[in-house]
Amino acid sequence: MHKVEFEQLEETLFHEKLDNGLTVYILPKKGFSKTFATFTTKYGSIDNHFVPQGEKEPIKVPDGIAHFLEHKMFEKEEGDVFQEFSKQGASANAFTSFTRTAYLFSATGEIDKNVKTLLDFVQTPYFTEKTVEKEKGIIAQEITMYDDQPDWRLYFGIIENMYKNHPVKIDIAGTVESIQDITAEHLYTCYNTFYHPSNMVLFIVGNVDPEKMMALVKEDQAQKSFEEPTEITRIYPEEPKEVAIKERVLEMSVQKPKVFYGIKPEKLDLIGPDMLKHELAAQLAYELLFGRTSDFYHHAYENDWIDESYSFDYSLEQGFGYALVGSDTHKPEILIKEIKHTLQNAVEKWPFGQEDLDRVRRKKIGFFLRALNSPEYIANQFTNYAFNEMNLFDVVPVLEELEVVDLQNAFALVSHESQHSVFTIMPPKKGEQ
Amino acid sequence: MFETINIAKGVNVHVNETTQFKTINFSIKFKDKLTKEKASARSILANVLQHSNEVYPSHTALRMVLDDLYGTSLYIDSSKRGNEHVVTLNVETVNDQYLSEKGVLEKVLNLMYIVLFKPNFENGLFKESIFTREKHSIVQRIESVFDEKTRYAQQRMMELALPNHPASITSNGTIEIVESITNEQLVAEYNEMITQNEIEIYAVGDVKPEMIASYIREFFHFKDREKAIAVPPMELVKPEQSRVLEFEDMKQGKLHMAFFTPITFRDEKFPIMQLMNGVFGGYAHSKLFVNIREKESMAYYVSSSFASQFGLMFVLAGIDSKLEEKAVTLVLEQLEEVKKGNISDVELDQTKALLINQLKEALDSARGQIDIYDQYMELTDRFEPEYMINKWKNVTKEDIALVAKELSLEMTYFLSGKEDETNA
Repeated sequence: MHKVEFEQLEETLFHEKLDNGLTVYILPKKGFSKTFATFTTKYGSIDNHFVPQGEKEPIKVPDGIAHFLEHKMFEKEEGDVFQEFSKQGASANAFTSFTRTAYLFSATGEIDKNVKTLLDFVQTPYFTEKTVEKEKGIIAQEITMYDDQPDWRLYFGIIENMYKNHPVKIDIAGTVESIQDITAEHLYTCYNTFYHPSNMVLFIVGNVDPEKMMALVKEDQAQKSFEEPTEITRIYPEEPKEVAIKERVLEMSVQKPKVFYGIKPEKLDLIGPDMLKHELAAQLAYELLFGRTSDFYHHAYENDWIDESYSFDYSLEQGFGYALVGSDTHKPEILIKEIKHTLQNAVEKWPFGQEDLDRVRRKKIGFFLRALNSPEYIANQFTNYAFNEMNLFDVVPVLEELEVVDLQNAFALVSHESQHSVFTIMPPKKGEQ
Repeated sequence: MFETINIAKGVNVHVNETTQFKTINFSIKFKDKLTKEKASARSILANVLQHSNEVYPSHTALRMVLDDLYGTSLYIDSSKRGNEHVVTLNVETVNDQYLSEKGVLEKVLNLMYIVLFKPNFENGLFKESIFTREKHSIVQRIESVFDEKTRYAQQRMMELALPNHPASITSNGTIEIVESITNEQLVAEYNEMITQNEIEIYAVGDVKPEMIASYIREFFHFKDREKAIAVPPMELVKPEQSRVLEFEDMKQGKLHMAFFTPITFRDEKFPIMQLMNGVFGGYAHSKLFVNIREKESMAYYVSSSFASQFGLMFVLAGIDSKLEEKAVTLVLEQLEEVKKGNISDVELDQTKALLINQLKEALDSARGQIDIYDQYMELTDRFEPEYMINKWKNVTKEDIALVAKELSLEMTYFLSGKEDETNA
């Protein structure tokens, strides 16, 4: 077992890669009563085209299958896994993102038992045609619920606009139609390909003894047999630099228009330290351009082009990413124009210097230290970073080294007009309803 | 957990000195009675005070100083609990032992003082442009509820079921009242908040209770104030209609049901009612989840919740618009099971285990500690998790069946997406 100390943060991380390929991280947190554990596979909604384990030819699977599989992991021959966690005083849950499927629990007692339950249920698939059919009604209602949420539609609308071929444009849960095609056999194929321990990370944070916990996990894994780990072949289509759709409008039952302005980054093949540096530099650049101390925010808020729903974000993964700026607004045209101007002006003449960088850097360090109070943040974010070969605890040192020119360079990769797109949700026109 | 120091009549400082967190959290809560007028005015006030002040006269200037203080977060929210309206100044700052720079804490305390005591006045009134802008922000916040159909449906049901009752008054007030408030009225409201509201001040982190108390005593000058006389909860009045159907252009139907119970937070049967709610629909092992979601595959979410301040229990489900009747029947069938005491030992033990877990977990965050302590202060002045855990432990199935029998269904509200299927 390796031990890494992060002295300035007063955190000690223990980790080990087990014989079957599973990577285990343990972060003891003094003073906490709860323990939070996530068991995550590097498998999400974008992995819909791949070579199944033990085969040679790639296949395409129905949209929404990773999420469907996540639902079905909880049902076993002997019943529902939620029941078992409840008996042991644990709240369990799971989520599927573009790139990951995570199973998790939090508990303040019976931690050993709960960790065993987590490992057992994720490593014991049980799918039948009957249970798969039964789930379709539940997931159809989940999809319908999201369909009625304008903020979700806005987010997915802008991603669909930006990406022409990449599967990130497919809704994570699929559609009511696409999930009808899912069979138990599909689920086994996906499970066998992506749920091998070598494609997974176990992260345990909280009130635990690292030596004892690692021994428990090792013993558990040693008792189970797995195939030899193999490299997974995932196939992603070519994605052009420019956005797929420049502008699109959707009508929904909302009280006023909602706008997202999206920018598709140019360099999507970054990984490891380069990725971390680029992402942090771009985030700081966006903070300066669109954050609450920016000229843009000041004018947009005082002129009523944006309201309290205003948000901006920069996110990068392998193969896709986006910068988003948006708000509910009575003046969608003006808001769009102003965002465009702000970006153009920054391209023409970079407006920020050392003092600006120092300020947003301090803000970001503070945000990061606050987030370290949350076991959930640590486990989720650490795992996400690990899948991209980055270390969460490098955030502060990398931030401290950033220079103004790094922000400028990161911004230059997302500033070309052909990489911009707009999605708007409009209330129904008067007289129509 | 917290050490309490009284600094003036009606003003208390509560400090939890702990190294559990990397930050220091503060909450200053101003408590007043809940009316639509108060909620409307105090929501504007919260926004105006958090916008800027005499020392940092623009939004940008204030946000820049916060960024410089390592992204110290500072916001003022407007909320309600029972018959009370609460304006809270929330501040979280990094413990400077993790930084190379020292003295951050004093700067943050000073900033809190400025935010509360040095408003952005112009000729004795709030600066007009900010006053107007923030009024409009609150109006926009109230309007935006419509976009989230679950919240909207719940709010519609409450307005219809209990008009003018604290249970249906929202923490932001109403659009009409917000728009009608004058700058003079807001200044009066501000003065009342600072000089007459009961104030609870919380600090959680690596700080000394005496240091925080003496700082506040010295710089904040909170004067004595009368303690408000506890107003008993307003009685629940039977709604005029028992079933309401409304339509919006949407795909899913939103079923909301409201039940009355004589048991409130202050009742000795409060812990039993918490367990009843848990067994019935509070968790993934509950009767509603297992039967309506897992067995019938009818819903993705279906749950119950207990609003203990008012003696209300709600059931919420997202279902196909054609299935309202079937869903209501199934919900009531499951309630019947609880009333008959058809609860297994496992169901009871699971619910107890999860309630205990939830409470202990909430105490792992500084905000959780403050919220729970502030809520339970009314029942006990030395709150520890065992206070509730011991009460839950002794509850039996029979106890649960008895409180379930006291529930009465008072309104079924359905927000449907499909107008053509009914003639309403």
